Amino acid sequence: MSLGDYLRILRARRGGITPWDIEAATDLPKGLYRQIEQRYRAVGDDESIQVLADFFDVPFEELRWRLDWPRKALSRALVAGREADASITLFLSTGQTVTGRVVWWDLGAVGLETLEAGLLVVQRHAVERWDPRATENSPAPGGPDAGEPELD
Amino acid sequence: MAENLWALREKKKLSVAALANRSGLPIGLIMEYESGLRSIDPRHLGRLARALYVEETDIKLQSDPRPGSGPLERQPRREVPGRVPAEGSAAGRPPSADPRPRARPPRPRAEPKPPGPARPSQIVHLENMLKRLGRSKEDLEAELGRPIAELDRVAMSELLKTVQPQIGQSDSATRRRAHLPESVDEHEARYLTAAQEGGDRLHFTLFDGSYLNGQVIGFGPFNITVRQADGTEISVNKLAVVHYRRDPAAGAPKEPSA
Repeated sequence: MSLGDYLRILRARRGGITPWDIEAATDLPKGLYRQIEQRYRAVGDDESIQVLADFFDVPFEELRWRLDWPRKALSRALVAGREADASITLFLSTGQTVTGRVVWWDLGAVGLETLEAGLLVVQRHAVERWDPRATENSPAPGGPDAGEPELD
Repeated sequence: MAENLWALREKKKLSVAALANRSGLPIGLIMEYESGLRSIDPRHLGRLARALYVEETDIKLQSDPRPGSGPLERQPRREVPGRVPAEGSAAGRPPSADPRPRARPPRPRAEPKPPGPARPSQIVHLENMLKRLGRSKEDLEAELGRPIAELDRVAMSELLKTVQPQIGQSDSATRRRAHLPESVDEHEARYLTAAQEGGDRLHFTLFDGSYLNGQVIGFGPFNITVRQADGTEISVNKLAVVHYRRDPAAGAPKEPSA
């Protein structure tokens, strides 16, 4: 799960406080929290993540590693897997692992052809990590999040 | 069970005029529908259903005549006592003394105005397209034989029409479009639509470790509604779903490895 998705969950657990509440309660620059949460690519640095970890009272590392697994990187890996017609393994936040060939993907879910279960529709927010990771030089996804809107 | 239009209307305590007003259909047409003289045009069915707050399927396309009512016939226009219809005048106005039709002299046709100069937005649009095509403004001007700034609005519009298709051609060669949807969840929506239409049973695994089996009877961007075997319907938020597939009981085997 990307850092943005995870922060959204933490925010929900805190009774649905708003990004503006968080910015008001911390020293984060205006708009940064919203960008960290909403952008598909990785936004944020160790300093801002430490602020958020303190705010949500979670370990720094629990947030930090997610910065390296943004949604856009998952899209890139899915495109690479689809183009190479190779299997991809998804590690889910429930502890399950699913491996299969990417049949389709969109912003919400991935259609994975698995040996065990046939076509399995995995919700993207359930994906924590994946293997193989596409490199930064892999073809950029031409999909729905390719034209990520630039905020502000 | 579909009901007669007149019965539904009376249930809703609406007059024919009120129904006509709500549905935007002529009163006479509604009377014909109600009497069974003609069956309801499918194009009007939705309007009538909305006006009556019922489903389209609740309305009988061909109404049975209301018991005790005679066949609908066009009634002759009532004569107003003491009023003599005027000859040649539908509105009952006295006939004009001069029966010749009055012809308005034709207006002199205005000379067409010469088109104005090209709009700045047209010029900017053209420059942007040239940039995308990798062409210079000077090249195009040389091709046209005159500066772009001298083009009038119409000529510029024509020029834009000729350049625009070139953009499409050049982009299609270079643009990377993966096998991907135009909208954000098109593939999943297609999958769910096919499952719903095919009456397939899906097996959902939820974040809390529980499972849900049933037929998809509806879905939206954020939730899926499922009818379980015992007939109960559950709407599950997609955020609560880890993954789903066709029900293993219907042929697919075991759960992915934990």
